Amino acid sequence: MNVVVGIPLYVMSAAALLAIVSGAFSLPGDLRRLPEWIGLLGVGISLLTLIAMWDRPQSGFEGEIRLTHMGLLMSGIILVATLATIALSWGEPAGAGRRGEYIGLILAAATGMMLTVTAGDLIVMFIGIELLSVSLYILCAIEVTREQSLESGLKYLITGAIGTATLIYGFALLYGMTGSTSLDVIGERLAHAGPLTSQPLLVAAMALVAVALGFKASAVPFHMWTPDVYQGAPTPVTTFMSTGTKAAAMGAFLLVFTGAAQGAIADWRVLIGAIAAASMVVGNIGALRQNSVKRMLAWSSVAQAGYLLMGVAVGTAFGAEALIYYLIAYLAMTLAAFAIVILREREVEDGDQLEAFTGYGRRRPWAGVVMTLAMLSLAGFPPLAGFIGKFMLFSAAIDSDMLWLAIVGALASAVSVVYYLRVSIVMWSPEPVRDVPERTLRVPRAVATVAVAGGVAIVALAIWAQPVIDLCRDAGASLLP
Amino acid sequence: MPWVSLLVIVPLVAAIVLALVPQHDRMLARTVALAGTGLTVAVSIVVLVLFDRGSGALQQIDHVDWITSLGISWDLGVDGISIWLVLLTTVLFTLGMIAACQHLPERGNMFLSLLLLSEVGLLGLFTSGDLVLFYVFWEFMLIPFAFLIWTWGGDNRRRAGLTFVVYTMVGSLIMLVAIISTALIARDHLGYATFLIRDIQGVPFSGTASTLLFAGFVLAFAIKLPLWPFHGWLPLAYGEAPIVVTALMAALMSKAGVYGLLRIGVPLFPDGANTLLIPIAILALIGIVYGSLLAWRARTMRLLVGYSSLAHLGFIVLGIMVFDQMAAQGAVLQMINHGVVVAAAFTIVMVLGRGTGTEDMGRLGGLAKGAPRLAVAFLIVTMAALALPGSNAFVGEFFILGGVFRQYAWMAVIAMAGVIYAAVYMLRMYQSTMNGPVKGVSDEGRATELRRGDAIVLVPLILIMFLIALWPRVFVDASAKATDRAIAPAQVVAGRPPIQIAPSATATQERP
Repeated sequence: MNVVVGIPLYVMSAAALLAIVSGAFSLPGDLRRLPEWIGLLGVGISLLTLIAMWDRPQSGFEGEIRLTHMGLLMSGIILVATLATIALSWGEPAGAGRRGEYIGLILAAATGMMLTVTAGDLIVMFIGIELLSVSLYILCAIEVTREQSLESGLKYLITGAIGTATLIYGFALLYGMTGSTSLDVIGERLAHAGPLTSQPLLVAAMALVAVALGFKASAVPFHMWTPDVYQGAPTPVTTFMSTGTKAAAMGAFLLVFTGAAQGAIADWRVLIGAIAAASMVVGNIGALRQNSVKRMLAWSSVAQAGYLLMGVAVGTAFGAEALIYYLIAYLAMTLAAFAIVILREREVEDGDQLEAFTGYGRRRPWAGVVMTLAMLSLAGFPPLAGFIGKFMLFSAAIDSDMLWLAIVGALASAVSVVYYLRVSIVMWSPEPVRDVPERTLRVPRAVATVAVAGGVAIVALAIWAQPVIDLCRDAGASLLP
Repeated sequence: MPWVSLLVIVPLVAAIVLALVPQHDRMLARTVALAGTGLTVAVSIVVLVLFDRGSGALQQIDHVDWITSLGISWDLGVDGISIWLVLLTTVLFTLGMIAACQHLPERGNMFLSLLLLSEVGLLGLFTSGDLVLFYVFWEFMLIPFAFLIWTWGGDNRRRAGLTFVVYTMVGSLIMLVAIISTALIARDHLGYATFLIRDIQGVPFSGTASTLLFAGFVLAFAIKLPLWPFHGWLPLAYGEAPIVVTALMAALMSKAGVYGLLRIGVPLFPDGANTLLIPIAILALIGIVYGSLLAWRARTMRLLVGYSSLAHLGFIVLGIMVFDQMAAQGAVLQMINHGVVVAAAFTIVMVLGRGTGTEDMGRLGGLAKGAPRLAVAFLIVTMAALALPGSNAFVGEFFILGGVFRQYAWMAVIAMAGVIYAAVYMLRMYQSTMNGPVKGVSDEGRATELRRGDAIVLVPLILIMFLIALWPRVFVDASAKATDRAIAPAQVVAGRPPIQIAPSATATQERP
């Protein structure tokens, strides 16, 4: 039995436990940040083991956990998101007095996400998804004194329960059809069993799984929770949900559909394509009229899920490659945007409202530049990372004879320009006279670091796209036999 | 030296430096901006000197692989068509910068920086040899223009900027889909992934594919031009933008669409271009008539010049789309002419608007009395704009009309209406402001007289007009080879008599 394959997961689980335990003690002043440091250390070590394993992809526990290139890269993306989330939570008022719990839950959720994208078995994948969901239910509601936060957690829990039920139903049908929960065996059965394809039961299984995973990725039709939950949750948690959870859900999509169900591609291609198209349209139109930047980013995250799903819908290795590259670009853009929102929220009341950003770029030009870059990249303006990602996704769609999907994506992007640009314009408009006093004027260094790193990555990922695409190509290729 | 790449890099560096200049140091901002554009002119002159007029292909190519797995590369070069547009861009931006520096708005360093960024976009666009790079610069130019409208525009700037961006984005994203489709079809034919225009040229696209792809590209070009009926953004954007920006948009940004048509649309998809010849020509003709009528009825001078632009661009598109050697060469010449004339016309509008505080023609009159020097300059520009024989625009329009007449006489007859209308609306603008009883000013218009600062901008433009009027052949000859080459495949498809097709152009089309 290969136990080495679990090292990144052991490290993360251990760090999660340690962080929670450390929170149980009242720590002296200079050890106040112990949970955070435990978290950073755990994520760092886990990341290093992933890098060390890159040249030796392997699987263990009888194939239930598989660190293929795909699993390694996706885990890496999730860990970077976790790292950034811990940095963004530095000095965050939300978890004050319960830092151990807060950091521990983030680490537990990250473990669940990693388990999801490295799963070789439906059961393992389900456990991963549950672990991440349950941790996030609590994290959303961690500000127990703030009504909005509680509402956010409750909404996520109730809708999440429906998502879970749908998922397990889909998995059960899949098991019933193929007689196995192992992704490899399912893949083999579907590839060589002609009569299985196009059966109503299989189509139903695929539809249920797609909709349920779409719930985690906030894709249409289970996207309704997104704006409320994103707005209500503490912003670092929102950031984590829109990056980490999305990565985990997309990883699951790739493993189940592009990977295992490759043989039944005819049964789900149009279905996923329709979900992608609907998400792009609904998300971009929904974002148009939002006054809260957090809410706008929530709707935009629905649309972004649509773009990402194009990479699943085509069902090819190139589609997976494009999806993973876009996921990396999306991570950079989202982290940069949310970091600026967090910065503003610490300074003024209702800092997530668009008006709060009026003239902000004039006061802090670096923040203005980062936010502008993030918005332009999310809108897909060249030559930024978001453009390269969209370019690859459109290419993948057209290459697989899904021209219609690319055209829907193109038109939806044209709509999205309106609200993304609105933010960057507001940032540079003349600053109004504010009668509300600002809270702090010192920029938290950790938050600023994430913002700047995100901004740099948006440009760097485009200029040096080739090395990153090579990594994504290896990951995409490892999905298919 | 990679001179062509420097064309893009120099203004980009200057723009970044400008953004870092402290806001209150306006002198330093001016110096950096003028040095940046001036240096770019110098580089463009070097490129012109090194230019080999014997070749119709892209030359002085700087090629660096960017994303090899997708076949995208940094590939810049010039050909006979782009060389003049590059020169026009660098010169007009320098003059625009001089005008902007004299009346620097609030946050001047950002204003100048954005102007430089739009120059980067235009120069990159005119020199791209790679379709994706072309798209990158195409979009790159949109953002600074939009921000310039949004931040420094008139009262209605929000709506103007938004309309402009949304119109353009719809076109360009469809173009992106068309670019990817083109490359994927070409890949199946060539055996490797590439976006290089010179590699894709000559790939035989099936009739339907050619038509659809051509349409995908042309939509983006038509919106940028704009071609009737895609001009909805024009009155708002031209009306609300700061006048320097309006001038640069009308003079140069509109050429991006024409350039795309001539450099990508027609040569890559001759079949599709031939299928859509008549529909597009009809749109161009409607644009000529409709633009002229709107210009005739326009209330402000700015809109008058803006609408006249719509008509003139209709002429240029017609010249390209009839697939005639003479008409196409006239169209290329007219691209330069229109750029210079429209820039000069907007300069005069700027001077008048500043001196009198209004751009409304109905409220002005008799200004020639107090401003004789301005009146002379105005008259020269008016004559050039209405293409009086002997003026630079006359040569271009004559070539176009001659070529169009040779292919489709009825189109030439309709297009002639535009020439007549031009006289009506341009003379109306001149007369209503310069002649007649003095109106709208208290000092007989002395405040509008050309000052030295304005003359620095206007005189070079007028000199260029004379230069082109006297030696049009210099310009036409340098671009003839590239123009012939661009339209030759479409001429073959359209069944033009072989005698009309340049023999050298068809020979170079054949691939080994």
